[in-house]
Amino acid sequence: MDGSEIISAVKKVFPEFNPLSAALDYPDELRIKIQPQDFKAVCLELHKILSSPVMTLFAVDERKRKNVFTVIAVFLNLKQGQWVSVEMDLAPENPDFDSLSRSIHSASLFEREVWEMFGITPKGNPDLRSLNLHDEVWPQGNFPLRKDFKAAAGNLSEYKFNRVEGSGIFEVPVGPVHAGIIGPGHFRFSCAGEPIVNLELRLGFTHRGVEKLFEGKTCAEALTLAECISGDSVFAYSSAFALAAEKISGVCVPEKAAYLRGIFIELERLYNHAGDIGGIALDVGFSFPSAYASLIREAVLQLNELLTNSRYLKKINAIGGVNADIDAAKQILLSRSLAKIKKDFRELTQMLKFSVSFMDRVDTTGTLIRKTAQDLGVVGFTARASGIPMDLRKHFSGVYRQAKFKMATEEGGDVLARLNLRFTEFAESLRLIEEFLSRLSRGGEILTPPQPKEAAALGYAEGARGPVLCWLKTDAQGRIERCKITDPSSHNWQALGYAVLGNIIPDFPLCNKSFNLSYPGNDL
Amino acid sequence: MKIFLIILQLLFFTAVAPFLSGLITKLKNNFRMRQGPGILQPYFNLAKLFRKGEVVSATSSWIFKAAPYVVISSALTAALCIPVFIFPAPLNHAGDFLAVIFIFALGRFFLALAALDTASSFGGMGASREMFISSLVEPALCLTVFSIFLQFGSTSLSAFSGIHAVSIAALIAALALFLVTIAETSRIPVDNQETHLELTMVHEAMVLEYSGRPLALIEMALHVKQMVWFFLIAQLIFPITAFSPGASVFLWCAWYFVRIFIIVLAVALVEVSVAKMRLFRVADFLGFIFVLGVIGSICAMLGV
Repeated sequence: MDGSEIISAVKKVFPEFNPLSAALDYPDELRIKIQPQDFKAVCLELHKILSSPVMTLFAVDERKRKNVFTVIAVFLNLKQGQWVSVEMDLAPENPDFDSLSRSIHSASLFEREVWEMFGITPKGNPDLRSLNLHDEVWPQGNFPLRKDFKAAAGNLSEYKFNRVEGSGIFEVPVGPVHAGIIGPGHFRFSCAGEPIVNLELRLGFTHRGVEKLFEGKTCAEALTLAECISGDSVFAYSSAFALAAEKISGVCVPEKAAYLRGIFIELERLYNHAGDIGGIALDVGFSFPSAYASLIREAVLQLNELLTNSRYLKKINAIGGVNADIDAAKQILLSRSLAKIKKDFRELTQMLKFSVSFMDRVDTTGTLIRKTAQDLGVVGFTARASGIPMDLRKHFSGVYRQAKFKMATEEGGDVLARLNLRFTEFAESLRLIEEFLSRLSRGGEILTPPQPKEAAALGYAEGARGPVLCWLKTDAQGRIERCKITDPSSHNWQALGYAVLGNIIPDFPLCNKSFNLSYPGNDL
Repeated sequence: MKIFLIILQLLFFTAVAPFLSGLITKLKNNFRMRQGPGILQPYFNLAKLFRKGEVVSATSSWIFKAAPYVVISSALTAALCIPVFIFPAPLNHAGDFLAVIFIFALGRFFLALAALDTASSFGGMGASREMFISSLVEPALCLTVFSIFLQFGSTSLSAFSGIHAVSIAALIAALALFLVTIAETSRIPVDNQETHLELTMVHEAMVLEYSGRPLALIEMALHVKQMVWFFLIAQLIFPITAFSPGASVFLWCAWYFVRIFIIVLAVALVEVSVAKMRLFRVADFLGFIFVLGVIGSICAMLGV
């Protein structure tokens, strides 16, 4: 599969299309270089042919070397298990390109980000309000991801929320400081009585400049940074980052390490899903199952600690392999603990499914219909709960294929669907860990030292929330030039605003919890 | 003598009411395999709040400042209307069961006004929800009172406290009152006292703007209100007569408080075993209480 099929498919509907180059740098990554004027048409065709949302879209400042800004849009080819990226070079003075957002909604937030970070104008994007660099604190004309960025003083302004007008409509502003211990986000509800007419989210309060921090670091240093991006997806992030670095330096991960990674990432999914289920129960005031779920979550965290000395699996991943081993004694321990967890989880499932008062709350609440989910480019378990079969574990070869991974989907798109999906995935994760354990070969974990090389690659991992993407570019010394992180939450936050429409305000926390989106993953 | 009794009953209510709340919290946490805060925690909370200063929104009027005093006075007045140690109650002449309902309604009305007064969006939401719930609770409650009235020939609290035997009608009335108590004391499945989710709150949303001493008064009022309801239910299910000189003081006192403990236990069990209802489902729940009231009245008329 060299991508010629895809290019000829695009040519069929767009005959003048002539890519500057199309290369399969890695078996799972097709890079098509095109002229800027073709960008919109090509992306639109790829979007249709692959039926993929824009998985990520970002810019790279290449002015020092090539005197251009490069803009890259990445699509996912589900059938072939391949990433298709479309790249174009833009002139360094007043860079702009044709916006995709009127045709492909999933590109709109990425375009806003490209605008505020690089000052590259997506021509025709109807909404270029700032996302993460709030107008109230960031003067206009600051583009921090440009290499020559220096903070400059300038005019401050105020963010304008969308307004719903009409009699009986009132606004409820919530956050960014909340009553519970959660991340900061501002929610602007427009309500008619209790039902929600419009919800606008404003995030970015914890923007830390992570992508800028990556620049100039070696891959080994940056791995630690990648682990810190989102505290409950440590292993997904380290896996995605390590994969990108391994692809660049041509390191082949030993089979055993690949299985170990599989085990750890599934353990991460277990504790996240158990925590989410407990959170959903707690948000409807159903405290007993909630307490039960937190026991299960704690059991997995303690298991993590026993296996790796880290509850949240930090410092386990390395470029080229893993630092932890699961020896025979630990394998027995793991199997035993999993059996106990499985039993407890079954009881939790029964408790929730047979409670009328609980099922009444989750059924038909916060429905995200499939069409909306597709248009918004929703990913991860949220997408699967709305009937979109997308799971990186399924589409890419690797340990999951050997373990005969079964993807779960639900049709309902409501809180119940997202809950049921977690139940199924939890059970599947338990099975996968057992399967991986049985295939753990002896020895064979050689950490080849990575070779510095000037190249770019996309790393990815299906974390508990969904696909974590990490696009990495290094220079000849092996230092990072650009690292673009895409968290599933950055796709899914917008979907929350649509899922709650027509629901009543007191049901919002429940809908929110069923999505369980990450603030730090979004506020990079 | 009368003044002495009034003071004694006031002291009794203010001293014991927080204990019942603490007990419920403790039981709930133990049911959930947790340790939870100590039973005396409500007292510590009150002591802390009484020591703290208050923050008052600049846009609020006198209503915001007056409301906590109205709320605490209404709760304590209601507490004086029910007989605890002696029959009749200290304020027996002041009002019957119906009066108690509307004394509570006065406090609630002022609390809702105060919530609207600060013009915060949560206060408005809380007030509107509270009024929605109470507009359904009150008719159901009045019907329950009606069934009790039919049974005992009087709505006077002292009269129905003088009963000795349990009847079906009394049990149904007690069940109705129990459900009303859950709604009135903002407990699951109607409201959730423990929640941190400001968007789902009812009672808590109304008092969100309060701090310091006024908040302490409002919390105290909630404890007292809860205790009043518990005493009324206890009297219906486990009727007890005034202490007669010949009986054992210890046994009488023990039974007196065991009855209350049984109700506390029931409330805690209900709270951990069901999920909170969707807001508009509360109407069904309160409709059920209304139906109970009707059945209770029929039973009372049939004399069973």
